[in-house]
Formats: sequence, structure tokens, C-alpha cells
Amino acid sequence: MITKSKWSVGNIIVWVVIIIALCWAFFPFYWAIITSFKPPGVILTKPSLIPFLQFKPTFYNWKNEYVSRGREITSALLNSVIIASGATIVAVILGIMAGYGLARFKFRKWKNKDMTLWFLSQRFLPPMATAIPFFLFMKAFRLLDTRIALIMTNATFTMPFAVLIMRDVFKELPVELEESALVDGASRFTSFLKIALPLAAPAVAVSAVLCFSFSWNEFIFALILTYQKAQPVTVVIAGVEHTQGIQFWFVATRLLSAILPPAILVLTVQRYIVRGLTFGAVKG
Amino acid sequence: MKRSESVKFLFVLPGITWVLLFTIFPLLYTLRLSFFYARLGRPQRFIWLANYARAFTDYRFWSVLKVTIFFVLFDVALTVIIGLILAILISRPLRKQIKGQKVFRSIFTMPLFTAPIALGYLGLTIFHEEVGAINTVLRAMGFLRLPAWFSDPWLARFAIALVDIWQWTPFCFLVILAGIQSLPDEIYEAAILDTSSGWDMFRYITFPLLGPVLFTVTILRMVETFKILDIPFSMTSGGPGMATQTYSYYIYLTGLRNFNTGYASALAYILLIIMLLISLYFFKRLRQIYE
Repeated sequence: MITKSKWSVGNIIVWVVIIIALCWAFFPFYWAIITSFKPPGVILTKPSLIPFLQFKPTFYNWKNEYVSRGREITSALLNSVIIASGATIVAVILGIMAGYGLARFKFRKWKNKDMTLWFLSQRFLPPMATAIPFFLFMKAFRLLDTRIALIMTNATFTMPFAVLIMRDVFKELPVELEESALVDGASRFTSFLKIALPLAAPAVAVSAVLCFSFSWNEFIFALILTYQKAQPVTVVIAGVEHTQGIQFWFVATRLLSAILPPAILVLTVQRYIVRGLTFGAVKG
Repeated sequence: MKRSESVKFLFVLPGITWVLLFTIFPLLYTLRLSFFYARLGRPQRFIWLANYARAFTDYRFWSVLKVTIFFVLFDVALTVIIGLILAILISRPLRKQIKGQKVFRSIFTMPLFTAPIALGYLGLTIFHEEVGAINTVLRAMGFLRLPAWFSDPWLARFAIALVDIWQWTPFCFLVILAGIQSLPDEIYEAAILDTSSGWDMFRYITFPLLGPVLFTVTILRMVETFKILDIPFSMTSGGPGMATQTYSYYIYLTGLRNFNTGYASALAYILLIIMLLISLYFFKRLRQIYE
């Protein structure tokens, strides 16, 4: 389709569609933002969409959340940060190494592509199939309600992303660079560390961001394996179900608090997101 | 250069060992547990396949299975179709870079990285029958009979599906868009000589060439949707009755609320087998993608 004029019907349709799509994507966040600034009474009685016109915005909910009951949310955020970072570090380190190994070496006994598919199959695994053993395992080792337990769990479930993304990227790196390093006397590991890895830095960033985000948003294992000290933000969000009913205002504040870190991180690597999320199957 | 060297094991072994430890062993344990009558990890009586037999006569099993299959089919179909339509519409006149692409993509990836559990509770506030956003708008538009989102089984399922679709359509859209943009221009330039019908070009060029991408996106989404738990958990807690109780939710309730771990393990294995069958069929295709 070669359209000459900038204002042709085609272009207008495109812009309308884009605007509708953006509104649709953004509306829930908008709703969360205005709900977080509405006084609780108004939320339950006068549903309204436009701030200042239909209701008076107030900081009451935010103060309530962070000042009066600050302990709960700040410790949850801290837990989430620790858990997600820990899981990311483990998953990315193991993933980088496994990805490089699968990309560069030939395995005889278990073929490369079999191992690759096996890592991929971890995503196909229903988490609930391993939930009970995980619970019993953590209980046996007195690891219930610890951050380590969740770090290990999340590392397990996000490792496939790291492995497959890195494998894909390493495969595309020209081998000559590493080969010349080997000729110069570097060991395999050094050529990996000093040459291949720096070149694949964006991919490492994407893997890290994806692992972090998915660990941050993980709920069910966090619910199962913690009950007080190590609760991440996702479980605290679920705490809005109060005896008096769902507390809408806290839903909004907690959702907004919870979405900030992944959202910011994703902004930094959004160029590679498509590639990362399809495990390299689609080049974006 | 792929010679056989022993250092290759150093690279791969940590990852493989971890996966073995944290996936295979638990799975084996779950398998063993599924053959017992067990209360929270104490296998008490070996009862052969009684747990599995019980599943097939359990009306709840069939209910949650049907609900989950509904979500898988409905959500994935709509997500991919809407994503496809959006991608086609947007890609054609603007084949190359557009100015706001970065911002656009950033806003569009936000739904993906929202915690589904949080989304569920937000969905509760949006679909709330009295003060929710949707019914407010409908009321303002003059509708008198507002949909009772959480009292009607099908409306509840639809609400959950809507939230799930909202979250994942951007993903499908971005992936398909990337796929379209990677198609070579020459084909279209040649096609324009034969026909200028957009529909023809879509049907004979774009759609077939997008095959692998659509395939990838569909499997990924189907597999992930099978495990859906967070959104029904928070938004409807299983819905009116059991209308929105999904399979994973049922496993969770059986195993970790009622502590009937033997039965829960059997249920989990049945799900695993279903997923295995699906993925075996698709793995053959995936092999081609992964060399």
C-alpha cells in the first residue's frame, strides 16, 4: 500500500486505532490512579471518572498506606526487591552459562536441541504440580517464610527465559572473535567472560529484566511459602480482602506501588521485549 | 566451532543440576504422592490409582476442566485475533519507523508486567456491579439493566476473560507486529503489480508468511493460560459457585487448603499429562524453530 498523502483515510484509521488501543491499555491504570486519590466514602458511593470535577482528590489513602500502616507495605516492597533480585541473579548467572554452553558446544550424549527444549518445557510445567513438594521441602529445611525459599522458587521458574534468550543471542555472535582469542591463548572460560558476554550485554539486560519482573509478580508460591516475615508485595495486595469487604482504595495504592519497579525496568529494555518473551523465536 | 571439550560441562551443569533438583525431583515426589491417600505429606495408604479414578468421577474435576478449557480457547483466540487485526491495521501504511514507537511500545508493554493478582483486584473494582467503572459508564449511557458481572456465571467468566485478554493482547500485538515488519518488502512490491486488494495481499502473502509467528504466539499463550490462577483467585474467588474456578485453583484448594495432598497430586499429574500431550504435538514444530 503506497499512500501518498499524509492525511489519507488509511492513516487516519491507523491513528484512531492507535489512540483507542492506548486508551484501552491505559484505562485500568488511570482508574487505579484516580481511585487511589478518592476518599473511601466517595469510592463506595459516588462512582466517578474525572478528578476535580466530580470529586475532590485527597492523599488520605496514600497516607494511610504508607504512614499509618507503613510497616506492611514497605517491608513487603523490601521483600519483593530482595526476592526478585536474588532470583534474577541466580537465574541469569546459571542461564548465561547454560545458554553459552548450548550455543557454542556440541553435546553428544544429550543433544543440544533436546536440552534446549527441555529448558523450554519448564515453562510448560504447571506450577501447582510442584507446589506440594516445594512446600514440604521448605518445611523440612525450616525454610518456610524465608526469602531464600522464594528466591530459589522464582529462580527455577524464570531460568528458562534466561537460558533461551542467551542461547539465541550467543548463537548469533560470530565465532571468529572468540576463536581468535583462543588462538591467542585464552581459555574457553576467559573468552566467554571477556568477549562473548560483553557483546551480549543487552540480552543479559533483557533476561535480567524479565526474570525480575516475573519474580516480582509471582503470587501463588509466595502465598504458599510465606506467612508473615517474607511476604512480598503480591501477597500483601491480596490482603485487601478484609473482613469488612474489599478495600478498593488499598487495591489502587498497592497496585500502583507494585507496578512501579517492573514498569520502570521494562522501559529500559523495551526494544528487546518481543525477542525475550518469545524465547528468541520471533526477532523483534 | 563446536569441538567436544570437557569445559562445556562446566557451563551447562549448574543450570541442568538446578533444574533437576527443583523440577524433576519434586515431580517425582508428586507422582509418588498421587498413588497414596495422604494428608499433607504423610502418605498413609497406598491406594493405587484410586485418586485418578476419583478424579474422573468428581463433578468438580470436570467443572474446573471445562472452565479452564473455555478460558484457554476463548482468551487465546481473542487475544491472537485482536492482536493480529491491530498489527495489520497499524503496520500497513506505516511500514517503517514511526515517531512515537518507543513511547507507544512502552505503554503497551505495561499490562504485561502488572501482577495478575493485582489486576484481579483492580478488575473487581472496575467490574463492580454498583460502583465499578464499567457499570458507571453504562449507567451514564442510559442502560437500565446493568450486567451483574459477578452474580452470573457466564458474565463472571467473561469478566475474567476480559482482564486476561486485556493483559495479553499487547503481547500478541507486539509479537505479530514484529513478525509483519520483518517480512521483506519486495514481495509486497511484486504483489502490487498483480493486485491492489488489501484483502488478497493479506490472505495470500501476509497470513501464510506469518504462520510461524502466529503458531509460536498461540502455543505460548495456550500453555500459559492453562495454568491460570491469579486472576480468578482475586477477582471472583472461584466465581458464583464454581463458575470460574480453574484447574490450578482447584489443585491449590484441594492440596493446600483441604490438605488432601494425595488427590491434589493426582489432579496435578492429570494436568501435566494433558499439557504433555499438547506440547508433544507442538514440540515437533518447535524443533524446527530451534534448529
